[in-house]
Amino acid sequence: MDIRLLQPSDLPLIQHANLENLPENYFLKYYLYHALSWPQLSYVAVDASRPRTSPYDHPKIVGYVLAKMEEEPSDGIPHGHITSLSVMRTHRRLGIAEKLMRQSQRAMVETFGAKYVSLHVRVSNVAAIRLYRDTLGFTVEKAEPKYYADGEDAHCMRLDLGPIRAQIAEEEKQMEKLTRAKPWVTWGEIRALAS
Amino acid sequence: MPQPLPPKEAALFRTVVRNYDDKQYKRGLKNADIILKKHPKHGDTTAMKALILNAQGKTDEAFALGKVALMNDMKSSICWHVYGLLWRAVKKYDDAIKAYKQALQIDPDSAQILRDLALLQMQTRDYPGYVQSRITMLQARSQLIQNWTALAVAHHLNDDRATAEKVLDTYESTLKTTPSSRDIEHAEIVMYKNRLVAEQGDYQRALDHLDSAARSNLDRLAVLERRAEYLTKLRRNEEAAAVYRALLNRNPEHPEYYDLLEAVVELGSAEERKKIYDEYAEKYPRADAPRRLPLNFLSGNDFVQAAKEYLTLMLNKGVPSTFANLKHLYSDSFKKETLATLAEEYISSHNDSADATNGDGTKGQPAALYYLAQHYNYHLSRHLDKAMHYVDMAIEKVPQSVEFHMTKARIWKHKGNLDKASEWMERARTLDTRDRYICTKAAKYLLRNNKNEEALKMMGHFTRAETIGGPFMDLVDMQAVWYLTEDGEAFARRGEEGPALRRFELVSNIFDTWVEDQFDFHAFSLRKGFIRAYIDMLRWEDRIREHPFYSRAALDAVALYVKRDDRAAAARANGDVTNGEDAAERKKAAKKAAKEKQKLEREAAERAAKKDPNKGAKDGANRQIDDVAGLKLLDAEPLSTAMKYVSHLLQFSPKNIHAQLAGFDVYIRRKKYVLALGCLNAAIALDASNPKVHERVIEFKHTIDPVLATLPPKVQDLIKSEFKAVPADNTAGQYNQEFLEAHKESPPHVVSAVKARKVLGEDPSKVEKELVALVKGEKVTFEQAGEILEVLKTWKSKEVDTFRALATGRWPQVTIFS
Repeated sequence: MDIRLLQPSDLPLIQHANLENLPENYFLKYYLYHALSWPQLSYVAVDASRPRTSPYDHPKIVGYVLAKMEEEPSDGIPHGHITSLSVMRTHRRLGIAEKLMRQSQRAMVETFGAKYVSLHVRVSNVAAIRLYRDTLGFTVEKAEPKYYADGEDAHCMRLDLGPIRAQIAEEEKQMEKLTRAKPWVTWGEIRALAS
Repeated sequence: MPQPLPPKEAALFRTVVRNYDDKQYKRGLKNADIILKKHPKHGDTTAMKALILNAQGKTDEAFALGKVALMNDMKSSICWHVYGLLWRAVKKYDDAIKAYKQALQIDPDSAQILRDLALLQMQTRDYPGYVQSRITMLQARSQLIQNWTALAVAHHLNDDRATAEKVLDTYESTLKTTPSSRDIEHAEIVMYKNRLVAEQGDYQRALDHLDSAARSNLDRLAVLERRAEYLTKLRRNEEAAAVYRALLNRNPEHPEYYDLLEAVVELGSAEERKKIYDEYAEKYPRADAPRRLPLNFLSGNDFVQAAKEYLTLMLNKGVPSTFANLKHLYSDSFKKETLATLAEEYISSHNDSADATNGDGTKGQPAALYYLAQHYNYHLSRHLDKAMHYVDMAIEKVPQSVEFHMTKARIWKHKGNLDKASEWMERARTLDTRDRYICTKAAKYLLRNNKNEEALKMMGHFTRAETIGGPFMDLVDMQAVWYLTEDGEAFARRGEEGPALRRFELVSNIFDTWVEDQFDFHAFSLRKGFIRAYIDMLRWEDRIREHPFYSRAALDAVALYVKRDDRAAAARANGDVTNGEDAAERKKAAKKAAKEKQKLEREAAERAAKKDPNKGAKDGANRQIDDVAGLKLLDAEPLSTAMKYVSHLLQFSPKNIHAQLAGFDVYIRRKKYVLALGCLNAAIALDASNPKVHERVIEFKHTIDPVLATLPPKVQDLIKSEFKAVPADNTAGQYNQEFLEAHKESPPHVVSAVKARKVLGEDPSKVEKELVALVKGEKVTFEQAGEILEVLKTWKSKEVDTFRALATGRWPQVTIFS
């Protein structure tokens, strides 16, 4: 398993993973639109342990988060939005969804100055709600009745990115302190910093 | 000459243009007709009318009128521009470019025409042309940032990075104020420029630029990754290591960072190497990579120790992908056996079932049983009876586990029993009917068992109910390549070639769409400013058809077309010019298609009747896939139709041996001997010992020998010098015999050699009997027997039933022989 930034060559298998797992599907062009509008925000988990059988093998996508910035936020506050998140059921319990979300949230703050991130989730999707609420700290903002095509309601959830922003600022400050003292940081110093 | 209109009509003409822009087509046509009534030969108005008709989907009428417009006014840039737009709409890009260029000769300053031309030059990858267009566009409007970045992109793609960089320098020098550090557009230009410097190989300058211009760039990840890369290239290892550590702190699940870090700290022993991973494992208790990756390089006792820790942790948690994450280690037989032993030990030391009470109970001992089931199901450690034993034990402990049932289905698949496989996948599905993943798997297993209709119904559980045209239409709309491919392959196995070919064509059409999809981004991305992502996208689009999604469907299609051509040739040889058998098949398919169509129409009518009449029918209430039964493809000339796939396969997947073999099969039948030989030699270079290659060598030798003298001298020389697979003093028969003797222990090679005898003109019935006899061979697997059966079926051999009986006798559980 490898968690990394989405690349355009991942798109066919991201679309494939989405089609396998979720009833909300999109044209490839919609994925492309995300990749070209917010290239820092979407991440994939790939199964890197499969032996390559040809030079044209593409790594299998076992999870992805497709994320964006709200283009015209009604509240005027820059914020991110999770368009789609999915992990193959055969690859659960490794915290992949959480790890994907954390990478994306960080990039939302760093690159686009997002203040919060929002998403929709099916009211029946207990496992996902638990991840968002208990693990990542999202809260339910409001209900969206009949949000899904099949008539199911959605919870609109959101997470304040303030704490992440503070954490990033702290990290940067420490890095800055070290890099100002010397032109570069040594390994030992970083290790000391990390512990 | 321009045809000036009186003021009143001129104003009306402007209205027509506005109508078109606002998509008010009916009004536009009406206004155009008013002008044309008074000035019937007015070219520009005629052209606008053509454009509107085209927007309404009346392509033929539009083209006819577009030509009339040009005839009326050859000197009008509008007429030429419109003519170009018409060609662009039907994707004849070269013709469109020609028309735009004509228009530009008349009106060189038209920003609109220039923009349309530039978009097409990018789409067709005419980089020198694109550079020219972007220079003109920049000269016209240098205050727009995107005109600068676009010119830089143009030079970059035209392989002139230095000039691209200079363009960005010039742009920066025109800036009066320093852009804010939160200016994302500028941040991207800085990072793009940095890439241009690095791609020129000047890493020192790239690093300096990064340090001076990108210290607080908004793309933090890219800055760190590039910095580490440049430092590594400059052999400043200690500094590079520090940056890789910073990257690992951001994302400890990215194996590449560990590799690169290891490379710059130059650790020797496995023990030293492992320390790095231990450090991150300790720091990130929930991280998987630092715990798992050392298993790749540890050996002996160290491996056993680390594997035990890792496996215990995973089984305690009940991580279902444990086996998937470890199976790459199985190429090392020590590791393979160690892992199995560890799992067995885990089972005996966790005999207490009390620890399996959390969650769905798939932790602990059941997880280990599940691991062993997968272990014995895997091709490198396969023992299917043991696999079945372990999965049954796992299921007994956790009867509700979807994953355990799925694995049981896969074991049945490997045993060759597709009925049982599908049945168990269906049981898995019923354990969680709200999950699309397991439903998808159930549909896939139905397709593997040739149950197309049931599979579509299964897919219908999760396709959008409101899609007009039903689940199939939704799957096509949503570009479900996997489904179309499996559906087509199932139809092919059923001998329903029309629907099969049509599905492979639909896959190919999806790739056409994906290529076309980039068009809008040529303008969009320059406006948005994410240039690096845009360039990555272009590079990917350039080789999009190398994706296995494409080659698989394309190879399937070519194989069918070749089969159809062989059948037609055999019929011709027997004096049956109309190919009676295929003609009868075609009739049957047409009848079936008509029935199917009636059914769909009836259903659509029923739906329409039930629908709320106030809501009104949306466009295309009767949407259906055109020729879903593939009748047109059955009528097409097989080999020339197959060429579309062959040329893509050879262009994009030349290192795929099956692509070369498919190219050979089509070229040799089209008597393109030099091209066939080119494919054959490429295949030999990829894998000379492949039995499928041997079959083609024999076929080529046998085909070319009698006709060689009739070919033009140059071709003769070329073939003589390039065809070296069979020694010149050897006959094809001798060569085949030698091959057979050299490989008599390998069933696939033996099958190929025996098949080749038929090509060489041996008595078919004798060859067929030999093939049948192979079923008794000790080493033959049921999969290989299945391939022999396919050969016999294709040859319409009288031995088919005998073979089926023998194979069923030997492998009673395997379903493909019945």
